[in-house]
Amino acid sequence: MNTVIREDTVTKVEKILQDFIEESGATYALITDMGGNPLFTAGEEDFDVDTLAALSAANYATTKEIANLIKEDNFSLLFHRGNNENVHFAKITQDILMIVLFKPFLSLGLLRLKINSLQQKIVSIIGN
Amino acid sequence: MAIVNLKDKTIQIKIVYYGPGRSGKTTNIEFIHNKLQQNKNQQISNLVSIDTKGDRTLFFDFFPVSLGKINGFDLKLKLYTTPGQVKYEATRRLVLKGVDGLVFVADSLTSRQDANLESFENLKSNLLYHKQSLSDVKLIFQWNKRDIDEKMIPLSPIEEMERLLNSELKVQSFPASATSGMNVLKTVNYISKETVKSVIEKTILNKHKMGN
Repeated sequence: MNTVIREDTVTKVEKILQDFIEESGATYALITDMGGNPLFTAGEEDFDVDTLAALSAANYATTKEIANLIKEDNFSLLFHRGNNENVHFAKITQDILMIVLFKPFLSLGLLRLKINSLQQKIVSIIGN
Repeated sequence: MAIVNLKDKTIQIKIVYYGPGRSGKTTNIEFIHNKLQQNKNQQISNLVSIDTKGDRTLFFDFFPVSLGKINGFDLKLKLYTTPGQVKYEATRRLVLKGVDGLVFVADSLTSRQDANLESFENLKSNLLYHKQSLSDVKLIFQWNKRDIDEKMIPLSPIEEMERLLNSELKVQSFPASATSGMNVLKTVNYISKETVKSVIEKTILNKHKMGN
């Protein structure tokens, strides 16, 4: 099944992501499908977005397989800490993943709270 | 699963190179990437390879390429390979998620015909894992390594490979040599064109829109 994303859907979701970036201080937000196709973005990037989406979807899927292997439903936190940039992965729906880049001085806990509330807003626009 | 974005006017399509270990999937994609890099007018992303310390694919090789415009939409092709080795079943299956077009790279060596067949059966069962079948995706075959000197290493005749893998499906196939580049670009051009055509037909006939 192919997916056609309407113009107003892109505008609404990217506005939510932009507001999230401004409120939270995160650097960049990307929503991708689990096949590694970027769907919505906000923030500034100096890297290849297609490659980030492909690697993130693969990373998330691999982690999920590890969870299945050790009889866990899924891991509640998927997060990488860097010296200059951190990256947090969150499942939005069964088929959609959100990737947030943020500076190490930002609070991970606070960011996760904001991502949780964001999740509901996004689902209300794109559906499940 | 192709993505059509009506705001940015983009169509994203995923093409996967599948086949048994050492059949030449990575060599295909490396050749395409090198050729595109030689075109100074086109900006090309890096080829990402998640491989072992040797030269074997552990997860996938990947690069995105822009194909220009069709009906005012920017076409973006994502090329992936899968790991061919039997032991990498879990990662191979993951790469197939959302695939639109498939190139099955079959090894022409006589000694590898069982491996071709096993990999093809594996492809069908892995598509089923994602609730897909061969009829849901565009597929072509590539009979690779046709440049090998048959006096040194026996090769299976193309007719024999067609009979083994393509007698029911009767899809397009190309004899090729990924190392020399013979028919490598022809293969990728054909699968891209056919997949784009099919995606456009499907999105026009069967619109699955994201958004309430």
